Amino acid sequence: MRYFVTIFLLIPLSVLSQSTSFDFHSHENIKKFADYLFCEGDYLRAVEQYDLINQILDNDTIEFKVMLGYSELGLFQESNEIFEGVNDKSNFYADAYLLSLKNQLLIASKLINDSSISSFNSFQMKSFTKLTTISMLYDDEFNITREKFISPFNEEEQNSVSSFYDYKVEPPYKSPVLAGVFSAIIPGSGKMYVGEWGDGITALVVTSLFAFLAYDNFNADHTTRAWIFTGLGAFFYAGNIYGSISSAQIFNARIDFEFNDGLKLFLEQKNYFLPEYDFCK
Amino acid sequence: MPSKFNIFLVLILISSSAFCQIENLKWQKADPSYEKPTKQAHRDYSFEADNAGEFIAKSLTNAYWFFISDVDGDNCPFHPSCSSFLLQSAKETNIFQASLMFFDRFTRDMNIAKGEDHYPRVSTGYYYDPPQNYTLNQGKIKYLPPAFIVDDE
Repeated sequence: MRYFVTIFLLIPLSVLSQSTSFDFHSHENIKKFADYLFCEGDYLRAVEQYDLINQILDNDTIEFKVMLGYSELGLFQESNEIFEGVNDKSNFYADAYLLSLKNQLLIASKLINDSSISSFNSFQMKSFTKLTTISMLYDDEFNITREKFISPFNEEEQNSVSSFYDYKVEPPYKSPVLAGVFSAIIPGSGKMYVGEWGDGITALVVTSLFAFLAYDNFNADHTTRAWIFTGLGAFFYAGNIYGSISSAQIFNARIDFEFNDGLKLFLEQKNYFLPEYDFCK
Repeated sequence: MPSKFNIFLVLILISSSAFCQIENLKWQKADPSYEKPTKQAHRDYSFEADNAGEFIAKSLTNAYWFFISDVDGDNCPFHPSCSSFLLQSAKETNIFQASLMFFDRFTRDMNIAKGEDHYPRVSTGYYYDPPQNYTLNQGKIKYLPPAFIVDDE
C-alpha cells in the first residue's frame, strides 16, 4: 500500500516540476505556436498569438503573416491597416504592397490607381500590371483597346480576360423600352424577347382570352360582363407591358451579377495574380 | 455506528436519485405541435394605411384574405404571396403602379412552367419574388440566382 501511495505522489510531482521549469509563454514558444496555427489555417488565433509578440520581436515576417492572415479571414480593412505600418525597407514590402492592392480591390471593387514601386522584381511587376489592368473592368469609364487590355496576361488567361472584355464593352443587355414596345404590339412578346418564354406565352393566352370574352359578350349584348372582361383584359395587357419592362431590367441586373460573379471567381482562381506564399515548408 | 460502506452507499444513492430527477426532467413526455406554420398566422388584418391608395389595396387584400384565402388555404407558391405583393407594392409605389405590378405577378403565377431555375427559393420552399425588383427603379433591383436560398424572416 505504501509503495502505491509513494508512486502516486511522486508521478505528479515529477510532472509538475518539469512543467514549471518549461516556459510555455516565452516569445519563441508563442511564435512556434502561432506558426503552427497559421500553417493549420487557423488564422484568427494565429493572428492573436502573433499580436502578443509582434511589438516585442519587431519581425517583418510576422507583420506580413498577420497581414496575410487578416486578408485570408476576409478582414481586408484590418489587413491594409497593418500594411500602413510595414517599413518600406522590409523584404516583404513589395509583397505587402501587392496584397494591399488585392485587399483594396476586394473592399471597393474599383479601379486601382496606385503606381508601381521600384522594389518590385519581374514577377511582382507582372502581378501588379495584371491586377491593375483587370481592375479597369470595375471602372465605369472603360476605354482601352482589346490588344492593350489582354497583353499583360499569358495565353491561358487571355481567353477568359478577352471574354470579360467583351462583356464589359458590349454587355448582352436587353432593352426595356423594346421589351415594352414588343408587348404593346403582341402581348407577351416582350417577355419572350427577354427570354421568359413561359411568362410570355401565359400573358398572350390570358390577354387573348379576356379580349375574346369581351368581344363575344359585346356581340351577345351582355354589356356588363363584356365591360368586366374588357377591364380585366386591359389590366392584364397593361400589366404585361409593365412586366416586360421590369423583366428586361431584371435581365440586365442578372447580366451584371453574372459578370461580377464570374470575374470574382476568375480572380479567386488566379489568387488575384499574387504568388502563393508558403511559410509552412 | 454505521459502517464506512453504508455511508458510501448512501452518498451514491443520494447522488444517483438526484441525477435521476434531472434526467426525468430532460426526458419527460413532450407535447410537440405537428401543425405546419402558415402565412395566415402572421397576417395583419388592420386597415392602417399611409395614403388612400394603400387603404384601397389594404381593404381589397383584407377582404380577399377573410373571404377566400383563409378558407381556401395557403396556395400561392410565391413569397410574398400575391396579395401581400399587392400590399407591399402599394407601399413601395402608388396604387396604379401597384395594380400593374400585381397583374404582372398574377400572370407569372398563372405560368404553369414557372420552373426551378427562375426564382430563388425561400427556406420554406416558396419562390422568392420581392416587389422591390419590379418598381422600374434599376437601383432597387437585387438579383439573386435561382440556386440561392433566402432566409425566411
